[in-house]
Formats: sequence, structure tokens, C-alpha cells
Amino acid sequence: MDAGRHPNIELMTYSEVESVSGYVGNFNVTVRKKARYVDQDLCNACGDCEKVCPSTTPDEYQQGFSSRKAIYMEFAQAVPSAYLVDMETCLGTNPIACGKCIDACDKDAIDFDMQDELVDVQVGAIIVATGMDVYDPTEIIEYGYGRYQNVITSMEFERLICAGGPTEGHFIRPGDQTRPKRIGFIQCVGSRSKRYGSEYCSNICCMNTIKDTLLLRDHYPDTENYVFYMDIRAFGKSFEDMYIRSREEGVRYIRGIPGEIIEDPKTGNLRIVVENTMTRRVEEYDLDMVVLSVGVKPRDDSPNIRKLLTLSKTSDGFMMEAHPKLKPVDAPTKGVYFAGCVESPKDIKDSVTQASAAAARAQILLNAGKVQIEAVTSRLDQALCPKCGVCAKVCPYNAIKWEKGQFPEIVEAACAGCGACSAECNFGAITMRHFTDQQIIAQVDAILEDHPMDKLVTFACNWCSYAGGDFAGISRLQYPVHARLIRTMCSARVSEDFVEHAFLQGAPMVLVSGCHFADCHYINANRATVKRVQRLWQKMERLGIRPERLQLEWISAAEGQKFAKVMRHLDGLRKDVTKEEVAYTIEVLKANKMKGEEKKAAMDRLTSPRPPAVFEEEEAPAGRAWFRCLSCGHTWKGAHNPNAEPVEWQCPLPECRSNSIRLMKPAKKKVAEHAPA
Amino acid sequence: MNDSVIKIDFSRRKQLEEMLGADHVSFCYQCGACVGDCPSARFHKGFNPRTIMMRALMGDVDELIGPDSIIWLCSNCYNCYQRCPQDVRPVEVIVALKNLSARECGEDDEIVKIAQRVRETGRSVPVTQATQRMRKELGLAPLEDLDVSELEIILREDEPESVKEDRGG
Repeated sequence: MDAGRHPNIELMTYSEVESVSGYVGNFNVTVRKKARYVDQDLCNACGDCEKVCPSTTPDEYQQGFSSRKAIYMEFAQAVPSAYLVDMETCLGTNPIACGKCIDACDKDAIDFDMQDELVDVQVGAIIVATGMDVYDPTEIIEYGYGRYQNVITSMEFERLICAGGPTEGHFIRPGDQTRPKRIGFIQCVGSRSKRYGSEYCSNICCMNTIKDTLLLRDHYPDTENYVFYMDIRAFGKSFEDMYIRSREEGVRYIRGIPGEIIEDPKTGNLRIVVENTMTRRVEEYDLDMVVLSVGVKPRDDSPNIRKLLTLSKTSDGFMMEAHPKLKPVDAPTKGVYFAGCVESPKDIKDSVTQASAAAARAQILLNAGKVQIEAVTSRLDQALCPKCGVCAKVCPYNAIKWEKGQFPEIVEAACAGCGACSAECNFGAITMRHFTDQQIIAQVDAILEDHPMDKLVTFACNWCSYAGGDFAGISRLQYPVHARLIRTMCSARVSEDFVEHAFLQGAPMVLVSGCHFADCHYINANRATVKRVQRLWQKMERLGIRPERLQLEWISAAEGQKFAKVMRHLDGLRKDVTKEEVAYTIEVLKANKMKGEEKKAAMDRLTSPRPPAVFEEEEAPAGRAWFRCLSCGHTWKGAHNPNAEPVEWQCPLPECRSNSIRLMKPAKKKVAEHAPA
Repeated sequence: MNDSVIKIDFSRRKQLEEMLGADHVSFCYQCGACVGDCPSARFHKGFNPRTIMMRALMGDVDELIGPDSIIWLCSNCYNCYQRCPQDVRPVEVIVALKNLSARECGEDDEIVKIAQRVRETGRSVPVTQATQRMRKELGLAPLEDLDVSELEIILREDEPESVKEDRGG
């Protein structure tokens, strides 16, 4: 309500964001203000219209425990304090059909000709605070939610015990409107489960249940309260005190998740069979009411919001921050910030903390009036550009606008400088400032100028792998002297040409390294690295070069140990590379650059020093694929869905754990002739 | 062994995981959902799938196998499989333990008897006069002898060449 009254805050309720364009400091947001059919300035919320409205429907705010009219206010304290008409249930304005509310309104505030309105708003920063949804436990048949009237969710409990609720705070059970005496709570419903809901811990349900039990002890000391849990996670400030108080008040905490709830159809009472894992005894509890402490989940419409603002999600479906530790409030898109459960499940205090931080972060941006960005951005050379648009597809920030037949347009303020576009461009049309092709090729040349056989060419990303190398040095870890690091902002900057150039110059081994998938500092740019390396391995094998000579590793800034281990291991692999192999590699790469007859002749002259390996496994069934670790040679069949969000691959052998995982394609076998049946 | 020191036998655990073809048992977080719905646990205090999972995790396999082991009390009803929030599949672990028990401690006469009954009649529970009478009272058709000729092919010890080829090896 304070926000509604504030002179500098304009609330746009009952509205939806249609589109967002522009970039940090200069966003243009189109908002659809939905028609309320009631003039919110004229309406004084007297409620006369509601009394005459004949159409009733379950009240969403009261979890369906009571009903509302077609003309309604969502709840008593709603801002603005004005009614609105739900056209789904309204009978219509035709005087024969209804129109009673128009007659009842003294203020003439009701206007059925009202239309949705599209409003353009110019803003400098955007804070996303779209919240979360609650898990619906109907699918858990053993708990009978939806079938048993006295099994309710924690959200419904909240309405039933609230003074503003459908029962005005008189706590009754829905089955027979009597006051329950024995109330059980079941924890982790739809949380921490591979079967139902989500695998993550929903964070708020333990404390919510503890609060609920204290409310019950306070309002109705004659009730028996049971909590069935597997772990109580009371980790916040003074939370443990609250848990202790709840136990002191006589709430019984039983460690064990019930297998089933059985209803007595006559009384509506519920029986829970549960193993008390503390005593190892199977116990039975007869209860009047069971509250399922349901978990939370990302909002169903969050994909729309991600699309609007070019955001990405973490594996749990909540929004991904710019950095999980150092930028927990910022979105990867510059000028966008998060507050509350849209980012992860959190309680009120954490939401307020994050909202304050988000407001402060936005203030910093708005007060400065201009943004300073790193000079590392990409630039397009229109003379070389064939307008293909691959750069726009690979950009994690949507900083490249492209339409078919047009030159792509790079929005420098939105560009974060990963360089994925530059590496993806086959025509050299995109220059990455400070990390140009020429600069990187020159570094490769310098490294391999003399004694190339002793060099290990390593591409390391600025944020993780390069820092991991630093950390190995600071920690005084020993690793072979042959590594030569070339720093790029992101591993996605490493173009196939760089690796090929290194091999052309006589490099025995090349390593491409970057951040772990979850830590990629450019949203998901390093997924492009994986694709590129897979392509390179394919190409190397086709040309008779051992793919093992190109390695891929994810090394974080804290993994100095891993950096040193990888370097030691790769040095061993490097020694294994023969001079003949390197000479052949140079020749075959040179030949491959030729064209037509000349290429054919050059290729025919070559013989590989090692026969190319043939992968002779059966085709893997759908949903699975063959993988080979190019570090240790281990080959296995694992889950793989090419359409799903890519995951970080790692060798399953505990002594290896390399990330040089190649997706193997079985060689096409000749189809055996089938004998006629 | 000192009782206060818990030693985990990783080789035994690995052996079990190899039999299962997966390490799903290691995801068990001991919530007890399997026990609350287990018919055997309700009628026998000593039977507890949760503690069997814990002991399997510790590689305490020797205690779990043998003709007198509690694993034989499992009725293979798959309730635990349905309820487990972590997809641990307790019943599959118990079946693996039963196989291990037969391999290492010899076959139990009772079990062999059941296996033979399956082979001969196609049923694990014998059809008795009482069963037939009860079915008659309930208005159900009497149980007929089953055709076990196909079962005999399935249970052949030497696999026919044609089957081997179909499986690609």
C-alpha cells in the first residue's frame, strides 16, 4: 500500500509485459494494461455491485474454500482499492442477460466498453520479481490429496487459520466443518524427490510447518500436533530456537516419511502408517487432519519471462544469476536484476534482503546516468559479412539483432565480450576487440616458433581456467614447464581455426579449457565450445589425426589442483606424440586446405603413421549414446538427449574425471542380407 | 571388530552395484517411506527395508545373506519401489541380495521348491482345495492347469543358438 501511495512509484496492476526491447539504461517495455471494466479512479470499493452480481465462482485467493462474484476485489487489502470484472464468469451487459452491477453503481464507474491498453514505458533498469508457484500434490496418490477431504496443503492451512480467511480464523477441517484435534504435517511433499515435484530442497517448508505448529499450540492448546519429516532444516537466524520452542510446546516430531494415508470413509479420519526411524518401529497414527507441507516450483509462465528478457535458468528451473556467488542479484542481461523467489525458493527475510539489494544495484546504474562497459566488444565488418546470422544465434545475450537478408546489428552496450560470435563466424567478419584473430594467431606462432614438440598449447578462459592456473602457481603446485597459456575471455572465443593453426605449426597437443557449465561467466557460451571441439575431433579423425591430441577440460578458479593434475597428465600424452605424427598432421592439414584435383593428389601421397581407429559398437538405443573419454580411453554408454539442455560430461572413472568426452558415432555397418522368412 | 567403529566394505558394495547394474542404492537418504508401506515390516518387527538399504550401503552383505537372513521375508510387492522418493528401488536390491545368497550360501530348499513349482505348474503359490472352494463361493471360475510349454523354453539352461544371435552375441 505504501508503494501505491509513493509519488515516484507507478503501480501497473492487472497488467502484463508484452515485449521488451533495447538494452541496459534504454529499455523500451510494452505493457498490456488489461481492461478491468471498472474505472479505478471512480470506484470507491463500496461493494454495492458485488451484492447484486448473480454469478459466483470459487475464490482463488481463499484456495477455493469460499466463493467470489464475477465483479470482485482479489482480497481486502488489494491495491488499487477498486473492483474489476472477470469476463470469464460475467453474464454480460445485455440488459436482458444481466447488467445489474451497472444499475447498482452510484458512481457510474462500471464501463463495459473498456479495452485493453498498450502502454510503452522507457526504463533504465528492470527488476524481475515474478515469484513462484506452489506444488500441486494431487499426483501423489498415496497421500490422497483431492480424494480425501481432510488432507490439505500448507497453503490451504494458511487460509483456514487466517482471520481474513473463509472461516474468519476458526480452524475447522473441510470434511465436516468440525475442529480437528489431531493434526499431522508431512514434510518434503514435492521436494527432494526424484519421483514427484522437484529434486531440490524448497527451503521454506520446514520453518513454515514449525510456525504452523506454534500457531496451533497458541490457538488450540488442546490439539495434538505431529510432524513427519526426514530432515528439519532450521538453518536461519533464530530458526533453531523456534524449532526447539515448538518441541517444548509439545509438538511431536517423528523422523520418517509416511508410506500411505488411509481414510476411514465413515468418519473422514486419517490413518498414517510410518516407520519412526529413530526407534525403528512401524507406528500408526490416527489423525483428524493431515497438512501436506508442499514445496515450491518455478512459475509455469517463467519461460515467457526468460524469453522477454533473454534470461536463462539453472537446472532447477529458477532464473540463473550473472554469477552464483559474486553477482547473486544481477541477471546475466545487463540492467536486469532479481528479487525474491524468481531466482530461488526463499523466505520473506531473504526476499526482502534480495529486493533491497536489487533496488540498490538498479540505483547505482540509474544515478550514474551512463554505463561503463569493458572495451572488449565485438565489431562487424560489413564488407566480409554474408548476412548468414550464425553470430546472432550463438550470442548468449541476444546482443546481435539479425533479420533474414539484413546485416546483423551488434548492440555494444549489451555485448559482454565472450567472443562466441567471432569464433562462430566462418568469414572473419566479426572482430573481437583486444582478442582479435591476428592477436591470438600471433601468440600461437610465438609459442611454436622453436621446439614446438616441447610445447603444450593451452587456451584458457579469463575467469576460471586462467585463474585456476594462477591459483596453481600461488599454491606452489608443481606441474611440467611445457604449458603455454593463451588467454581468451571465454573458451567460446576459441575458433576451430586457432586449434588447426596450432597443429599446422607443429603443436603436439592442444588444450581448450573453460569454466564448468554451471559457472560459465557468459550465461552458456561454453556450450558452443563443446560443439566446436566435437566438430574438431570429428574432423581430426577423418583426416587421420588422433583426436586425443586435442583435449577439453573445465577448470574453475579454485581448482589449482585440477589444473596441475591436467597439466601433468597432458604432458604424458604430449610425450606420446611422435615426430612423424606431427609431420603428417601438418601435411594433411595443408592438403585439406587445397581444392579439387590438387587436393586429391596431395591426399593420395599421404599415409598416416597410425591406422585410424574404427568405432565398432552397436548403435545405442534412443535416449542413450556412446561416449569416449579421450584422456583415458574409457568408453561407455550413457544417457543422452540431443534436444535437452546440455549437461557437463565427465569421465565416470574416479581416477580420470576428465572432461574430454567425445560423443561417439558408431560406424555405419553394412546391413546384413535378410533371408526370406 | 570393535562395534563402535563402522567399517564400510567397498568391495562388497561394488559387487552388489555390479549385480544391480547401477548405484541407485547410494542415493538412499533413509527417510523411511519404504517401511511405512511395507506389508512384511508390519507383520514382522525384524524386517525393515530402510535398514537393509543402510547395511547394503555399508557393504555389510555377509550379514544380509544366507538361509536365515531377513531378506527372505520380502514379499516382492514393489510398494517400496513405488514410494521411494529417491528411486533407490529397495526391492531390486533385495532381489540382488537373494541371488547373491543363492550363489554364495547355497540354495535354500524352500526356495528351490518354489522354483520347481513355478517350472512345473507355472504358479508360485500352489492351488489347493481350499482355494478352489473359496473361488467357488465368490462366484469365480476354478483355476485350470496352465500350459507350461513356453515356460520350459524360457527356463532352458542352454540358450538356443537362434536366441543368442537375436541378442547379438
